[in-house]
Amino acid sequence: MQTMDTDRFAAQRTTTAAIEMVGLNHTYDVEPVLRGVDLTIERGEIFGFLGHNGAGKTTAVNILTTLITPTSGTARVQGFDVVTQRHEVTSQIGYLPAEVRMYPHMTARENLEFFAKLSGVVDARSAALETLDYLECSDLADRRVGSFSTGMRQRVGIAQAIIHKPSVLFLDEPTSGLDPVGVRQLRDTILRLNSDLGMTVFMNTHLLSEVAKVCTTIGVLNHGELIYKDTIEATTARFPDETSLEDIYVRMEAIPS
Amino acid sequence: MIATIARHQILSLRRQRTFIGLLATLLVMTALAGVLGWSSHRTIVGVYDESVKLLAAQGLPAPENPFRLKPTLSLLSNMVVYIPLIGALLAVVLGHVSLADDETDGVGRLVFSRQVTRTSYVIGKIVGAASVLLAILVFSLTVSALSLLIVNRAAPTVAELGRLATFYGLSWLYLMVFALIGMATVLVTRRRSLALLSAMGAWLVITFAVPQVTSGLRPTQSLNPITDPVSTSQAFFRATSKARPFSVVEQYKQISGHVLQTSTDGGNSIGGLLSIAGLAALLAIATVILVQRHDYSTGTSSD
Repeated sequence: MQTMDTDRFAAQRTTTAAIEMVGLNHTYDVEPVLRGVDLTIERGEIFGFLGHNGAGKTTAVNILTTLITPTSGTARVQGFDVVTQRHEVTSQIGYLPAEVRMYPHMTARENLEFFAKLSGVVDARSAALETLDYLECSDLADRRVGSFSTGMRQRVGIAQAIIHKPSVLFLDEPTSGLDPVGVRQLRDTILRLNSDLGMTVFMNTHLLSEVAKVCTTIGVLNHGELIYKDTIEATTARFPDETSLEDIYVRMEAIPS
Repeated sequence: MIATIARHQILSLRRQRTFIGLLATLLVMTALAGVLGWSSHRTIVGVYDESVKLLAAQGLPAPENPFRLKPTLSLLSNMVVYIPLIGALLAVVLGHVSLADDETDGVGRLVFSRQVTRTSYVIGKIVGAASVLLAILVFSLTVSALSLLIVNRAAPTVAELGRLATFYGLSWLYLMVFALIGMATVLVTRRRSLALLSAMGAWLVITFAVPQVTSGLRPTQSLNPITDPVSTSQAFFRATSKARPFSVVEQYKQISGHVLQTSTDGGNSIGGLLSIAGLAALLAIATVILVQRHDYSTGTSSD
């Protein structure tokens, strides 16, 4: 029975998009935050989700990471429904929220071991050390997270997000608070995760320069509505008069929804 | 998953300074309880011996020393006070830190974006807190037994150890009430500091305010083992006596006094036990429901 289920899941994984939202709506109290968002992100893409503050980007990530239930519409990650197949979805995803701190009085290794166990990793200790090594920060293993700088916390945060080798990685404003060196390290890490492990990356960000350097596709959310989605190449081709992605973004935001 | 969460809870408490400080205080007071009991007993017996000598010098007969008949466990009577004061405070802090860390800065978001159900999460947290309290009280029991051994220069009997174990078992149940209050307040407030303040407020009300409208109205009752006949004949006292089951601290003290043989008034021990267990069960159910409904998509302020 378990083998059949596994086969079924494997079939779903290989035939569907990494992320799919259909008519997704979400309302806080009476305020609509997401308005009928339809979005498909293919496997292996690095997707940059752009939008002003309060546009609904974090709400979308919260729905996709199963933290909140959408008011209406459907969302699927690796073919699994985020509401009815929560367990399957969480086995496929890694998540790094903005300003992550983890357990400050525990060491990086202890934190990572805990999150690895929650994801069902059998040898959590080895996984923690291997992940830190992969991210070139093994020296942080036995130091308490409470003493870390923003950049160090971010690296350990990424380690907790990828320790169970997820298929899809969600990053919510990953560059906030990072210095230029930290931003560059993060960019390199995202590209490595995408090329080495084939991870699909969904990134909420304001840093347009990084989007241009890292992402393969972008989407723009304006007051809860998806107003644009295309590849970086197609976007720059569509707006030939604009000199940078920032100019394009400002022009899109000015378009009435 | 429950075991993973409980184990993590236990490990993280090792480095919580407030918790460790309160734990050390409770253990020191546990050790001191035997010494203080022995000291007061020795003073009373000393006064009696002096009186006997004085009476003998005057050729008068001396009465039998009533304090020699006092049960051994009554030396630990101070524990009945320390548990509701220091122990309950420790339990409040334990319950608070169990959930507050996951609230602060949104660590809960990381937990619930994994294969963890809210039910297994909250049960893991409750099991972790219950295990820590159990370990503390088993250690306290050992300290109490050792202090009796040192003070009396004789090992406690099996019956005495049984009573001691019953007392600490009851204390565990009583402290679980406060650990659960510490947890529940984290889930109903948006700020960490307010959550701890609310839990402390609940501790103050249960420990000090509620007894004022029950046994506090009959201050001599604690000294007099016979129920005050006036109190049963007046409507006001009859009404306040109905409130007694809601005063869990009184229930705890009464049953503990009975178990440790420091008081002959056992009251309705089963009823008292049920009211403590009922409150603990009610709080556990409330905590489970609150976690199901809690919004873990955002973090609270750490101030």
